[in-house]
Amino acid sequence: MEKLTKTQIPILASYSMPLVLLSAFAINALLIAFHISSGTLRLVLLAGSFPIGFVFGRLIYTRRSHVEIQFDDSTFQVMRGSREVMTGFWKSYRIVSLVLDQFGKPNLRLYKTKGGEYVDLPISRTNAEPQRFRDYAQSLVTGQRPRGISPQVAEAV
Amino acid sequence: MKPSSAGESAVDLFESRLIRGGTRLIADLTEFFRDYRVDDTTFTIYARGSTRNKGFLLSRFFAWTVLPNYSVSLFCVDEGTALLTTEKVRKGVDTVTRITKDEDLKWAWLVFFSNRDLPPPIVSFISRFDKKELGLAAASTSSRQVVLSANQVGRSIGRQLKLGKAIGSRNTWKN
Repeated sequence: MEKLTKTQIPILASYSMPLVLLSAFAINALLIAFHISSGTLRLVLLAGSFPIGFVFGRLIYTRRSHVEIQFDDSTFQVMRGSREVMTGFWKSYRIVSLVLDQFGKPNLRLYKTKGGEYVDLPISRTNAEPQRFRDYAQSLVTGQRPRGISPQVAEAV
Repeated sequence: MKPSSAGESAVDLFESRLIRGGTRLIADLTEFFRDYRVDDTTFTIYARGSTRNKGFLLSRFFAWTVLPNYSVSLFCVDEGTALLTTEKVRKGVDTVTRITKDEDLKWAWLVFFSNRDLPPPIVSFISRFDKKELGLAAASTSSRQVVLSANQVGRSIGRQLKLGKAIGSRNTWKN
């Protein structure tokens, strides 16, 4: 199965920043308790709040909000955090479109019938190139053999 | 600017501009289909949206209170190397006009792409076309020629949708 995913930096930062602040308070309290109130050591130890905050932020982000789309020529599966939020067969759908969300980010929409029931795949939260992935999905939905190109962009995950 | 990269056609480039919000000043196209079939006509691009932008907080409030919420659509036909004839354009116009009525659209854009030079009858037909609710345009990716219909919606294909840029044309041919 191929996998589409991308670390969403703004969401990771929103989880991490409060934890950075909390760990800075905790480190500061420890420094006061150990009577380290000035000097370079205090700054170095306080800077430790960033890696601590980001490690815990990353853990929460991975468990709650990280989006991963796994697919092959017959099925797809959307994971959000540790939950599977959607799974399905390409063949169950007939029409594919790109739909822009309120921030203008394109997601993939799969219709079962023209203008009828649909599901949205959050490809804007992955490293998929929207138009190429739409064409790829369309070739699977219409039953044509997908072209050999990967719908994934070359950037690092 | 390059008209199209090695793997990207003029139609792809045009769609890519629209997805990135190329029509935002005039309409907010929010859904894009490829190879959309209506009866016996297949539209290479079919995009639909409305004149009310989404935006965030203030712009959304402004749009909601001031802007009308009309439905609009864009249709695009890629003729490739086939000859673009007046008959094909008329058929496209008829189909889009019918969709405009059925879906209660305020206006629609219909754009033809061709890899050949635009024949004089097409230039004449499109530049004289003045139906208020349909903007018509044809673009040749070989000669970089763009023809727009003589109505407000047609002119917006050049100004807002920047069709000329998608095919690498610097001058928009006008009647």
